[in-house]
Amino acid sequence: MEPLLSLDHIGKDYPRLKNAGSQLRNFLALLRGQGVADFYRALDDVTVNLRRGESLGIIGENGAGKSTLLKIIAGVIKPSRGSNVVRGRVSALLELGSGFHPEYTGLENIDLAAALLGLSADDLRDKREEIVAFADIGEHINQPIKHYSSGMVVRLGFAVATAVEPEILITDEVLAVGDESFQKKCIRWIEAFLADGGTLLLCSHSMYHIQKLCQQALWLHHGRQHMLGSSAEVTQEYLAYHEKKELAAKAEAATRPAQARAPQGAYSIVEFRVEDDGGTPLDSATYRGSFRATGTAYSDDGREPVVVVGLVRADGTPVYGVLSEMDGYRPIRIDAQHFRFAIRFHDLLTLPGKYAVRAHAMDPEALRLFDTWEIELAVVGDSREVGLCHLPHSWLES
Amino acid sequence: MLWRHRHLFANLYRREIRNRYVGSASGMFWALLHPLLLLGVYTFIFTLVFRPPELTGKHYLLFVAIGLWPWLAFQESLLRGTVAIQGYAGLIKKVAFPHELVIYSTVAATFTLHLAGYLLVLAVLWAVGQPLTATGLPLALGVWALLFLASSGLALFFSTIQVFLKDTEHILSPVMQILLYLAPILYPLTLVPPDLRVWVAANPFSYLVGRLREALEGGQALPVSADAWALLGTVVVLLAGRAFFLRMSPYFEDFV
Repeated sequence: MEPLLSLDHIGKDYPRLKNAGSQLRNFLALLRGQGVADFYRALDDVTVNLRRGESLGIIGENGAGKSTLLKIIAGVIKPSRGSNVVRGRVSALLELGSGFHPEYTGLENIDLAAALLGLSADDLRDKREEIVAFADIGEHINQPIKHYSSGMVVRLGFAVATAVEPEILITDEVLAVGDESFQKKCIRWIEAFLADGGTLLLCSHSMYHIQKLCQQALWLHHGRQHMLGSSAEVTQEYLAYHEKKELAAKAEAATRPAQARAPQGAYSIVEFRVEDDGGTPLDSATYRGSFRATGTAYSDDGREPVVVVGLVRADGTPVYGVLSEMDGYRPIRIDAQHFRFAIRFHDLLTLPGKYAVRAHAMDPEALRLFDTWEIELAVVGDSREVGLCHLPHSWLES
Repeated sequence: MLWRHRHLFANLYRREIRNRYVGSASGMFWALLHPLLLLGVYTFIFTLVFRPPELTGKHYLLFVAIGLWPWLAFQESLLRGTVAIQGYAGLIKKVAFPHELVIYSTVAATFTLHLAGYLLVLAVLWAVGQPLTATGLPLALGVWALLFLASSGLALFFSTIQVFLKDTEHILSPVMQILLYLAPILYPLTLVPPDLRVWVAANPFSYLVGRLREALEGGQALPVSADAWALLGTVVVLLAGRAFFLRMSPYFEDFV
């Protein structure tokens, strides 16, 4: 079957707009049929084929090119590179209420919005009541749009888009606005539309909606096609990516302070280092080798705190942690409120990879965790073992 | 191709007309009052202040009225058309539709209002006994149609330039003001010194107001060969303006 939509290596460049001189140059370049000289790539090398009845969710961070892609499919803009073929009646809701004039009533605005979506006056006569009923905004339909809430504008916009009976429905973050009951109504409508063989292109930050409404998902990253596949797979990867990114941001915030910082809370770590036996700071340690973690803990009331030191994987998964009191270790008092601690890990069994060394301060009763300090540590070495850490073992001969 | 979008054009056209008065009660009123005020001022200047002997005994008010409304329709449709693409930026960025409809609807709405004012004023002048004949009316409307097509072509051209070079509207406005005085609208061609006359006569507006006066004052009802040339020139302007517009319109979204 012929695909309903084929995008072949499409890309879109936007000119950087600066002074009048560059405007003139851009104008002349375009007139001569050349591209503009100074541009940025909003979208590059995206290839998608959709058959009738297949639905595509488009995900990605802000500025990843999602809206640009939808605009190309909707025919609002022409791609700078590649070819796009759309075989079907498209109804695009790129922005709810585009084409609405604030001074006109809802009913009056339906006319132009419907005409923009390609509905003739005759078609509209039959559909107008349907649209009004779907929007379900009561008496407001006779009020100027400027008095509407954004939710009501959305209702009206979606109602008009549904009346066109599209083969391809393009929506950009539409479900994010509007109250829950209307969202449900929209989703019910979309589900019925999909059941009838309609094709949906949905751009959303809600992975729930993407998974629920789309079989396929496209993940755009910095304007490029990062991943295309089943929506379950892509959304999971996307969520994992975000988790990792968040953790990285947190870890960075935790490791950013230099080697000393002001006490935070009743018990805290005010100094923390990862070093070799000679006292040189380390950012990597050798598999089956050793390293030291040393630091100073602060105690507001002068009582001896409990210190926790451990290793976590780069994604935050704890690998190993130990409390000083478990081993009967007592941090060494330096003054009334400060205690030194040092721990040596030898025969490091974690497999090569990215880790972080963490230190926490706890109250003397080891009941509450007060502070966290994290330092990144790579474990390097040659090992073809798989997993997280080496487990001592032996293969048996019999 | 455009016929398919006639409903959209009708909607945009209706909206353009309504936009002139929606939100301001006096909008429609001004559409008629502004030309009337201009007419009054020009009549005051040229019949009471300057009083050139060539104008004595002529119906100056009628003379100016015949040329003033077409000029205002031309000027206003060009100025409004030039900024129309920017004015519809919200739609152009979000909805796929032929951008040229915006220009046609803007020009058509302007012409509708001024033609209505024109017919109204001519009817009043006729009713008070000014020398007007109805036999030339179809020809006069034909001249208006030419003006409409030529204005559309120019508006397509200037609106395209405006998208890329935002100074266009600021340059165009005073230029239009100057052009009014260079065309024999407020004065007859016979008042222009003979060696300069050929330059003023070369202005397309000289032909245009001349034909309107021949039709409405002189009662001429039949086209002459100059009309064929005017038609040809108009079609060339329209097609060239449209070709230019269509060549550049795919890039509008990048620049508005």
